[in-house]
Amino acid sequence: MKDITITTKRQLTEIKIWIACFVFTFLLNLASIIIYKTEFKELYTQLLWVFILSIAIYGLLLVLRLLFALIKKTFFKKKG
Amino acid sequence: MNTDLLTRRDFIKNVGILSGGGLVLSSFPFFQSNANEKNLIEGQKARLAIIGTGSRGLYHINHLLKIKHAEIVALCDIYQPHLDNAAALCPKAKQYKNYHEAIADKNVDGILIAAPLHEHAPITIAGLKAGKHVFCEKAMARTIEQCKEMYDVYKESGKVLYIGLQRLFDPKYLKAMELIHQGEIGEVVDIRNFWYRNNDWRRPVPEPSLEKQINWRLYRESSGGLMTELGAHQLQMGTWLYKSLPDYITGFGDIIFWKDGREVFDSVSVIYHYPNGLRMTFESIISNKHYGMDEQILGNKGTLELSQGLLYKEEPKPAPGIQQLINQIEHNIFDNVSFAGPSWVPETASTTKGEPILDHIKTHDGSNTTGAADDGSLELVSSFCTAVITGKSMPMLVEEAYYSSILALLGNKAMEEKRVLEFPQEYVIPYL
Repeated sequence: MKDITITTKRQLTEIKIWIACFVFTFLLNLASIIIYKTEFKELYTQLLWVFILSIAIYGLLLVLRLLFALIKKTFFKKKG
Repeated sequence: MNTDLLTRRDFIKNVGILSGGGLVLSSFPFFQSNANEKNLIEGQKARLAIIGTGSRGLYHINHLLKIKHAEIVALCDIYQPHLDNAAALCPKAKQYKNYHEAIADKNVDGILIAAPLHEHAPITIAGLKAGKHVFCEKAMARTIEQCKEMYDVYKESGKVLYIGLQRLFDPKYLKAMELIHQGEIGEVVDIRNFWYRNNDWRRPVPEPSLEKQINWRLYRESSGGLMTELGAHQLQMGTWLYKSLPDYITGFGDIIFWKDGREVFDSVSVIYHYPNGLRMTFESIISNKHYGMDEQILGNKGTLELSQGLLYKEEPKPAPGIQQLINQIEHNIFDNVSFAGPSWVPETASTTKGEPILDHIKTHDGSNTTGAADDGSLELVSSFCTAVITGKSMPMLVEEAYYSSILALLGNKAMEEKRVLEFPQEYVIPYL
């Protein structure tokens, strides 16, 4: 069985993507506080939700990226 | 360990009204047994005679043994096994079979009565007239006439009288009253009291001749049944909260399940109507315990369940914004698009979780027929011992007990006569 190697560069890219997801979710929390007129202390009281949601979004993005990579690989193979 | 002082300190801390709680401080007996009393009673003991050493008497004895400023010097009961049980806990106490002799004992400063209901008035009156301070279990007496006589003798005697209404000493009830007075539930629109159990209320009897003595709760001569044994506790809510008396009382009571020769109702439902249109209800059944017991105060902005110490707002606090957003996205994706909604949906009870009104709430389900732990009874008895030493009566306590007993007894009268009663003006006392 072939080992899958995740390079340092790839690891850093993935961390950056998750951080982007976390920032996005944090802003989403801020937006929902404004939209639903709830308390601003939810910026820190709801951090667990924000964290879980950021993981979910990251996971969704990962699936989409894998799918895209698979299609791209298949397409290039056919062309080659 | 000084249980009394620790309890008081914890109590005040728990209720959270040490400062700025003028309303509560001036309204409730617990706080009126003032802080200076600690110095006044230092090193002194209230020497007590326990009259009635059955299960409730033992419950009080167990509390008294924890109170530093209490000393049990005499025990009295006509039933030897009960006397023996108490003597095992208090071996130094003198034993009596006749309450007159126990009252006459020169070493006795105060008496604690845990005898059957029909004995409350004669023993209390004898005690007060003999110059002793008296603690009497609730309800005050078997008849409204006896309640009035007890009250009059108490006022004439200048002695201390305590009646076992422990809710006046229960932190969650005090906190609830504070919240109500602060308008937390808006305008109070109703009081619902209920107490459900599923047991026959019988005690084992060693021989048939002792049936009425041991199972006194089941016979009208000695008991007011569910109204005086359970209702008297909860009916106090009416005067405590509404600060007025009902003008009309009606209800129905029957023996529906425990048809075992008892005379008192095993199912009661009573309505108290107040002059401003408000009502208070009391319902009790002892053949189903599903709903347990509670006192529910309904306001236009919220509901308080007093025995649970829970507050339910009519408009509950919304969920955090992020959760609302997720819910909305979820509904938009997964909910079916309806072309026509149902014309009627059942208005089932709110499933909102209640907010505890105190940090450390101690509750009980009301099923214990002797007495629950941490329900204010220890504080009540401790306060009585302090009062025996200082000779200072507790404002409000006797008056609240008087009216709760009168309301319980009038409820019985209304049910027995199957009619609507007017509150008898001759039993109004200078209170409220």
